[in-house]
Amino acid sequence: MARLSLSARLAITFVVITVACFSAVGFLLFEAAARRIHEQDDTNLVLATRHLRRFVAELDSPADVAAHQYRLIIGVLGDTNNALRIVDEAGHVLVERNPSRLPMTVQAMVPSERRIVAADVQSWRDADDHEIRGVSAIGKPGDGSTVTIVVARSLADRALLLSRYRRDTILALAAGMLVAVLLSYLLVRRALRPLRAMAASASAVTAHHLSTRMPADDVPAELQTLSIALNDMLGRIEDGFARVWQFTVDLAHDLRTPIGNLRGANEVALTRPRSVEEYQLLLGSNIEECDRVSRTIESVLFLARADSPQFALQRVMIEAGEELQRIADYFEGLASDAGVAVRVTAHASVHADRELFRRAVSNLLSNALRYTPAGGTIEMRALDTERGVEVSVENPGAGIPPEHMAHLFDRFYRVDRSRSDSAHSTGLGLSIVKSIMELHGGDVVAKSERQGVTRFTLTFPKPPATG
Amino acid sequence: MRLLVIEDEKKAGEYLKKGLEESGFTVDVALNGIDGLHLALEDDYDLIVLDVMLPGIDGWAVLTRLRARKDTPVLLLTAMDELEERVKGLELGGDDYLVKPFAFVELLARIRTLLRRGPPRDIEHMHIGDLEIDAVRRRVRRAGQRIDLTPREFSLLQLLARRRGEVLSRTQIASYVWDMNFDSDTNVVEVAIRRLRVKIDDGHEVKLIHTVRGMGYVLDEAREAN
Repeated sequence: MARLSLSARLAITFVVITVACFSAVGFLLFEAAARRIHEQDDTNLVLATRHLRRFVAELDSPADVAAHQYRLIIGVLGDTNNALRIVDEAGHVLVERNPSRLPMTVQAMVPSERRIVAADVQSWRDADDHEIRGVSAIGKPGDGSTVTIVVARSLADRALLLSRYRRDTILALAAGMLVAVLLSYLLVRRALRPLRAMAASASAVTAHHLSTRMPADDVPAELQTLSIALNDMLGRIEDGFARVWQFTVDLAHDLRTPIGNLRGANEVALTRPRSVEEYQLLLGSNIEECDRVSRTIESVLFLARADSPQFALQRVMIEAGEELQRIADYFEGLASDAGVAVRVTAHASVHADRELFRRAVSNLLSNALRYTPAGGTIEMRALDTERGVEVSVENPGAGIPPEHMAHLFDRFYRVDRSRSDSAHSTGLGLSIVKSIMELHGGDVVAKSERQGVTRFTLTFPKPPATG
Repeated sequence: MRLLVIEDEKKAGEYLKKGLEESGFTVDVALNGIDGLHLALEDDYDLIVLDVMLPGIDGWAVLTRLRARKDTPVLLLTAMDELEERVKGLELGGDDYLVKPFAFVELLARIRTLLRRGPPRDIEHMHIGDLEIDAVRRRVRRAGQRIDLTPREFSLLQLLARRRGEVLSRTQIASYVWDMNFDSDTNVVEVAIRRLRVKIDDGHEVKLIHTVRGMGYVLDEAREAN
């Protein structure tokens, strides 16, 4: 079975609630009205009977009663529908008024000395099965004889009245329900219109149209949150797509250069016979280009793997001073060739993956060496701070122009695209540093200050306290 | 020494055969897992170079079935260096692994290490031509003259000397000497070699440290100029 729409479900719920309420209220009202009518009728019967008994008591004899029958009938019953019969002890009818010919068979009679109450009203049925209610009481005329008074009323007219009332009620209820159903359906549809608009916007979002956004201004407050959340998500997806796209373009471009070199150099070499030395040189250069491609691929794979949640860090406590010195040693030759000194100041232990720590710091140092003028000193420091352990690499030089700062950690971003050492640098070094820091739950911050001092600071969070 | 290379890439199989034969091995190449396993079980090889991604039955299956009957050393070649892959390879009974693309000299070094069975002994005194290395006292002399080396330079020279005649790649050198196990885009090793060369070879007729362009460095008494 197909799942019902939200509108249908809400409308159906409203309808069920409305029908239940209307029915209950209608039923209760009907019952209350019927009960009031019956009570009123019974009270009339009791009052009429009491009145007749008093009247009879004022008369002298049963004969007197018969003589006054019109006073009894007109004076007491008026033009009501009540039927009346008064019989003497011998069973002779003294007074009779019964236009509808109701059967006046009454069983229990209220004794003359007892007051007539509502509980004395009895109920029986005529030949047509209509209910008849009546009261019977003993009356005493002045001569000490007794007469039996019976007052009765057919409820046929009441039944007719109530059945009409019931029909009217049901009709009104049905009409009310119909209106309620219609209104609730329209209301729900109207209330959910912004949701449909959102669905329409959402279905317009494809990989090519990521700039589409949900309406967020003219929607109800409940949907606004959803709208904003969806828009934020779309923003992030769009951003991610743009970055992946840019990354792909940059990667392709970066691979095109060495492959172009390979192809071109080989083609030129093959145009005419060469000496063995020339071939050897060519093959050597080919291998270098291959290494360049391999390095780029390795870096890209590293970044991709670092992005995956399955990447497992092997964190240990590292003596920062020892590690920084080792890295400084590694670059010693390079630094002294460039006439640059490297100074290590460290008194801290870092909780990090050793391999990745070395890789991150090496990337920073190799970067610093590239930009430090001869005679300069690179400072490597490790400091224990509130936030964690800060490992920084600082170098003097021209500084980083402010317009590049925001993009330093972007993949394939090179401050100087035309630098001759782009053959050695993949343009991924700082992205790798950033990935490594994200894996450690830390961060990397670059600052280029006065007089061209550039400082990269890695912050490694402290290990969670054990115990 | 007889080697079996199980590699479905025809070009790769060809150059591996050529390179390994020129390095003094006898090499058979199988182009798929079924033939490879058959050869490995029928013949007695000293070592098997096994590609993991193979059509038909893959390298893992070949390794598992081989290990059921034989202990021939196996060097796995894989295109993925995910940790699980390495662990799986070693758990199934592989002896070493190398991630593609790899430097040929590194493959050669790994093969030699596996065939040597056991770690290379520390040689206390080494003589290469008129170069003497005293590993105990960490002293170096050339033509009788003492040469002062920094500790790292000494380690570098010692590595080259122990593996004399073997081309060592930059990555291998960075890993052995500085324990830097990632492919760096800097020319640190180049610079270190150049500085060592100044101390060892300058002023001597016979050069000992040679650059094999694109591949790495080798320490040898007599080698054709490159």
